[in-house]
Amino acid sequence: MADAQFDSALDLLRRLNPRDTKANLLAITSIVPDLTEDLLSSVDQPLEIRRCPQTGRDYLLCDYNRDGDSYRSPWSNEFDPPLEDGTVPSERVRKLEVAANEAFDVYRELYYEGGVGSVYFWDLDDGFAGVILLKKGVTAGSQSSGEWDSIHVFEATDRARMSHYKLTSTVILHLANETEALGEMDLSGNMTRQVEADLPVESDASHIANVGRLVEDMELKMRNLLQEVYFGKAKDVVGELRSFGSLSESNRDRATQLEMIRGMQK
Amino acid sequence: MASTIELISSFIEGAPPGEPRYLTIDVQALTSDGDDILPSLAPAFARYNEGQLATVKLPGSSQEVIVSEFNRLEDNRYFDTESQTSFEMDHTTQTAFNAQSSPLESQNADLIKSLLKSLAVHAKEHYPNCSYGVYPIENDSAVAILLVANRYSPNNFWNGRFRAIYQVPVSDSSSSVTGKIHVDVHYYEDGNVAMNTTKPVSLSINSVTAESIISRIAIAERDYQEELNRAFVQMAEGAFKGLRRQLPITRQKVEWEKVGGYRLGQDISGGKGR
Repeated sequence: MADAQFDSALDLLRRLNPRDTKANLLAITSIVPDLTEDLLSSVDQPLEIRRCPQTGRDYLLCDYNRDGDSYRSPWSNEFDPPLEDGTVPSERVRKLEVAANEAFDVYRELYYEGGVGSVYFWDLDDGFAGVILLKKGVTAGSQSSGEWDSIHVFEATDRARMSHYKLTSTVILHLANETEALGEMDLSGNMTRQVEADLPVESDASHIANVGRLVEDMELKMRNLLQEVYFGKAKDVVGELRSFGSLSESNRDRATQLEMIRGMQK
Repeated sequence: MASTIELISSFIEGAPPGEPRYLTIDVQALTSDGDDILPSLAPAFARYNEGQLATVKLPGSSQEVIVSEFNRLEDNRYFDTESQTSFEMDHTTQTAFNAQSSPLESQNADLIKSLLKSLAVHAKEHYPNCSYGVYPIENDSAVAILLVANRYSPNNFWNGRFRAIYQVPVSDSSSSVTGKIHVDVHYYEDGNVAMNTTKPVSLSINSVTAESIISRIAIAERDYQEELNRAFVQMAEGAFKGLRRQLPITRQKVEWEKVGGYRLGQDISGGKGR
């Protein structure tokens, strides 16, 4: 029965307002506590920010840098609150993680012009895996605000002179607007996409470039998709509910047009 | 922590347009270890139906009528002024039964009838799939005007609802129309995106006649759709652009070999501090 419960929990979260995912997740896990672990690792939520006590830099929290109640800072590799035997990556993978954090810091500055980013890597038997997190919030005046959370999880599996990459990306985007003329308008949601690729690997530095390009291409694609859904699709549905023009006139026009076509066919 | 019934009730009340029956299946599967939860959820379904202006077909008719707090009688009975019928509601399955003739008794019966006529014309002109109603409220001292338009396209993973709820105190001289317009859109292909809007409306009218009331409402609804369309553009150009650029300011993609190569091997504690 547990599988059916898990599936129905995911379907609920896909239908209920994405703005309330955190509260709904809490509600579901209080009803069926056995689902807690599986749901927490498969449902993406807006990222929380914490300051690294060692370096004073902000980093992002997720299930992948959590060990018990502590979180590992990508800047210091230390857990907060401190852990004696917290799980950290191997020396080689930590070195890659440091380089990836540096590279994605440049990426974040170029595309987000602010915000917070964090990259976490961990070892696999036949390669390694990681998550790239990016978060930015804006308040454009008092009445309009927005928040973007990117969560890119990948696995890199070693092949001869190649690596097989599997990337799953989720963007959580929240936008709100309030003015006297408009009233309140809230657009919230998340979208997920996957991609797989085999790419050449000469040295460990190749991994950073390969993952970097995969994430960069994916974010461009998802940004276009979000733009289409949030502003195009939503507007179209409003147009389906309410017709701007007069329906009787457009029906008359259509009838006249049909008449003309029939006339020409004679 | 709230009880299971309370938590599940809040799920039901938060159902997107056209999706309560899918949520019903989900919550039954989620709570399958215990007793059937459905009977305990009836009050939540009733609140959902009244708040969302649920529409039901009258028995033996193809006409859809609205269920709301404004046309509620007692014991889950509601009345429709246009067909002058009252009916009982099974809120959980959204079906009407036990329909009875229910003549409109109101000192504003004439106004209600002409409002229904004007509203029908307005609805037909702008809402391809909608239901509406006009009811006497507040001890027959005012009328409520409701319109709900639904479009469900589950095969294309989207559903939408437009609701307009107005109240007009009936007096001899000038009066005002107050109310709210709500638009809810749900899109859920490989994701979950929801738009929810609330627009308070307050309109003054010179005379309490059906024509003046409905023409003011028609203008307010048109203005609101224009305002919404402007907001889509403004959000895309404003907050959305401010979150993430489409390309860096250089119009060039990141040169990953360079950022990696440049940075690799450098002491990270010497990196810039943000």
